[in-house]
Amino acid sequence: MHQARIVGVGMTNFGVHDRPLPELFSSAAFDAMDDAGVDAPAIESFYLGNAMGGQTERDTHLAPTLASHIGLAGIPCQRYEDACATSSNAFKHAVRAVEAGQHDIVLVGGVERCTPTTGLDTPEMTSVFASASHRQYEQPTGLSFPGVFGLLTTRHMHEYGTTEEDLAAVAVKNHRHGTYNPRAQFGSETTVEEVLESPIVASPFHLFDCCPFSDGAAAVVVANEEAAADLSSESVAVSGVGHATDTIPLADKADFTATQSARDAADQAYEQAGVGPDDVDVVELHDCFTGAEVLAIEALGFFEDGEGGPAAANGETALGGRIPVNPSGGLKAKGHPIGATGVAQLVELTEHLRGEAGERQVEGARRGLAHNLGGDAGTTIVSILEVDA
Amino acid sequence: MSDTLPDPLTHAEWTAALRDGRLLGQRCGACGNETAAPKAACNECGSREIETVELPTEGTVYTETTIAVAPAAFEGGYRVAVIDLGTEGNARVTARLESDADIGDAVAFSDVLEVDEPVPVFG
Ligand SMILES: [Zn+2]
Repeated sequence: MHQARIVGVGMTNFGVHDRPLPELFSSAAFDAMDDAGVDAPAIESFYLGNAMGGQTERDTHLAPTLASHIGLAGIPCQRYEDACATSSNAFKHAVRAVEAGQHDIVLVGGVERCTPTTGLDTPEMTSVFASASHRQYEQPTGLSFPGVFGLLTTRHMHEYGTTEEDLAAVAVKNHRHGTYNPRAQFGSETTVEEVLESPIVASPFHLFDCCPFSDGAAAVVVANEEAAADLSSESVAVSGVGHATDTIPLADKADFTATQSARDAADQAYEQAGVGPDDVDVVELHDCFTGAEVLAIEALGFFEDGEGGPAAANGETALGGRIPVNPSGGLKAKGHPIGATGVAQLVELTEHLRGEAGERQVEGARRGLAHNLGGDAGTTIVSILEVDA
Repeated sequence: MSDTLPDPLTHAEWTAALRDGRLLGQRCGACGNETAAPKAACNECGSREIETVELPTEGTVYTETTIAVAPAAFEGGYRVAVIDLGTEGNARVTARLESDADIGDAVAFSDVLEVDEPVPVFG
C-alpha cells in the first residue's frame, strides 16, 4: 500500500464572499497547487466536497464545473455530500485512491456559501441546515441544527453536571485562538458574560455558543510517497483516516452523549496510525456548537466521559495547555462554510506540522488529529496527520 | 388490538395512527430493538423480521431543547424533546413538548401538531 501525503494546502479567508462558487474555489485550489508545486496536468483526479449548493445556489453537478474553471477538465471528478463532514469524506476517498495506487497526485477541496450572499435569510438557511435531520421523523417537529446539538448537550449537562459556563468557556477559548488567525471570520475576543448574555438560539446554546454562517473554500493536494519525494514542498503523512456513522433519527441512537460515530472513527484512525490520544499534539475538531466540542474531546479519548465540560475553563484545551484544541479558532471563530470545513481543518494541521502557523503555532507539533462531524452525529471522519509516518 | 396493526408500518400508516391518538412503532423479532420511527429493517441487527407494535403514549423526557431561531415555516419559541417510552426495546420518539417538563419528568402524548406533517405533542 502507498503512503498518502499532503503535499500542498490552500484556503480562502472564511467570512463573506460575494463571488460564484467556481471563482471562490479557484483561489484555494491554486494556492494548494502552487504550494505543492504541481501544475494542472499532474493532477489525476479531483475530489470535491459541497453539501448544499443545490439548495442554496441552484448549482449542482459542481465537480466538473469547478474542474473546468481551474484547468482540470477531462479527469475523473466526484462530489461528496455528507452534511458538515462533506469534504472530509472527499479527502478520505482521495487518500484511499492514492493508497491503493490508483492515482499518484489528486486534488481535494471543498467550497460552500452560507451567508446572505446566497440570497437566503436566516430562517431559510436554518431550514436548509435542518434538511440534514430525518425528513419524516425530525424535520416536522421544527428541530433546527442548533436544536439537534441542544438535545445532545442538554443530556450531557443532565448526566455529568456540565454547565452553561463550561460551554461558554469553549467559545471564549476559540475566539481567543481566532484572534491569532488572519483567515478567521471572528477576530475578536469574547467573555463568558458576553456569551451568556447573548440571545438563545436553541437551549442551552446562546448566539455566541454557535458557529456563524460562513462562505469559503479550502483545498489540499494529496500524493503518494514517490510523487511527494519528487516535489520540493514540505509534505506531511496521512497516517490514519477513520469513518463511521450512527443511527438517524437521533431518537434511535443508543447513547446521546457518546457520539458513537466519533468513537468508532477515532478507533479506526488511531489503529491505522498505530497511536493513541496521548500521542496527539494538536487537534482541529468540529465545534459547530460549544457543546459539540465537549462531546468530541471525550469521544476522541482526550478526556474521560463526563470530564470534558470544564476542560476549556481550566485551560487544558487552550494553546499552551495539555492538548490544544482548535488553534485555528475552530468553526466557532474561524467559520463554518459547510463543504470547506473538513479540508480547512487539514490545512490548519498541516501548517502546524510544518511549523508555519504563526502566532497560533503549537510548538513542536509532530502529530495532529482532525474530527469532522456531519448531520446529527450521523457521520464522523477522523484523520491523523504526522510529520513522519 | 394487534390484528388491526398495519404490516409493514409505513410513514403514511404511522401518521394516520398519530391522528387517531395512537403511537405506532416496530419491534425487531431477532434482537428485540424497538423504534418509534419505522424502518424497512432493524437498525441494530439488520433483520427484516420486524413487527408493528402499539407503543405506550406515556413516557419521560429523555432530553429537550427550546428552539428560538426556527427554520422557515416555523415560529420560534417552542420545545422539542426526545421522549423515552420506557419499553424493553428502548423506544424513543422525537416530539413537540408543550409543558415545562424537564429531563426525567413524566409526560403523555396529548395532541398532534400539523405544520408540515403531523408530529406527536407530549405534555
Ligand atoms: Zn434487530
